[in-house]
Amino acid sequence: MHALLNELRADALREIGNIGLGGAVTALSDLTGVLFALEAPQVVPVDTRQVPQLVGVEPESLVVGTISRITGDWPGEGAFLFPWESACVLWQVLVQMQPNGLEDLNELYQSVINEVSNIMLGNYLRAISQMTGFHLNMEPPAFAADMAAAVLSAIVVEAMYGQRELLAIETRFKTPAHAFSGYFFYLPETGSLERLFQVLGI
Amino acid sequence: MAQGKVLLAGMGEIVVAWGKGVVGCIGLGSCVGTLLFDPRTHAVALAHVMLPEASEHDAFQQPGKYATTAVPALLRVLDVPPAFASRLRAILIGGGELFKNRSQTLRIGERNVETLHRLLRELRIPVVYEQTRGNSGRSFEFDVETGYLQVRAVGSAPIEQNLATVLGIVRKAS
Repeated sequence: MHALLNELRADALREIGNIGLGGAVTALSDLTGVLFALEAPQVVPVDTRQVPQLVGVEPESLVVGTISRITGDWPGEGAFLFPWESACVLWQVLVQMQPNGLEDLNELYQSVINEVSNIMLGNYLRAISQMTGFHLNMEPPAFAADMAAAVLSAIVVEAMYGQRELLAIETRFKTPAHAFSGYFFYLPETGSLERLFQVLGI
Repeated sequence: MAQGKVLLAGMGEIVVAWGKGVVGCIGLGSCVGTLLFDPRTHAVALAHVMLPEASEHDAFQQPGKYATTAVPALLRVLDVPPAFASRLRAILIGGGELFKNRSQTLRIGERNVETLHRLLRELRIPVVYEQTRGNSGRSFEFDVETGYLQVRAVGSAPIEQNLATVLGIVRKAS
């Protein structure tokens, strides 16, 4: 177990992930008219050597992802990752078309993914704010489309900058109607975790 | 390319191959695969560098993580004293900025590349090949016996280079 965590604290982080992303997935369902379901969040210390295997997709397969810096009482990085085929489901549902490969990935398609990230992360943060009274702000998402391992490693490096250990609250969401999986990561600054546990009284 | 297994350096790791074998990295985003080749011993050491400067104490546990600790560590594993470092040859792969419109960007990829160039210049180690910066992620494999390098990126054909000559690999008459 991670130095910062005991079972109770890990449970609390999973529950926060659940509540936060529950609202976020509802928002995504409202937006798309497709019902999305959450898997139980996982709280994992990030072992940098294992980053390419952090999600169950081929390390060199194409994914799209976003990262947003979160500032305020519980700072960190919020990141979404969608395998290419899953991003295509979002594009089809939201704009009724999809790019014909990486070269065709124009501003419109990027803004769709950014907007999905915006709405979901906004709801996630709102849920956490309501639970903790924390003041939280997010910066607009930054977009990437590249091989899975490279996008994941870029996310981890950004989050790890200036800190020694890294914890990921990872949640996968799916829909039975389409071959779709999305991944959400919250990578809190480890220094800010104590504040959260204090507020929660654990 | 390679027969057999590739010795992969995960983030922050260092791997070394003596005389033969293939080393590589999968999915370099802002990280930089930093290879030092010794023409005298035909050894190569590879660090998967994540960040430019070590400010934390885990630099001792994981020297490959930071440019400033990785370069001295590569010399140590190759058993080359700094005074003789100029005989080494460097190859740099990675250091891209994958995320567009990052509002308060840390430019980690760019700073990794800059820092590595500075450290290598100070040791008078020439960079004989690099594929760095830009916006794409990269994977690569390097065969220490042949000097053959393959760099892969999404959406384009793999780039293949034979670096035997610039690395000073002399083919044995067989």
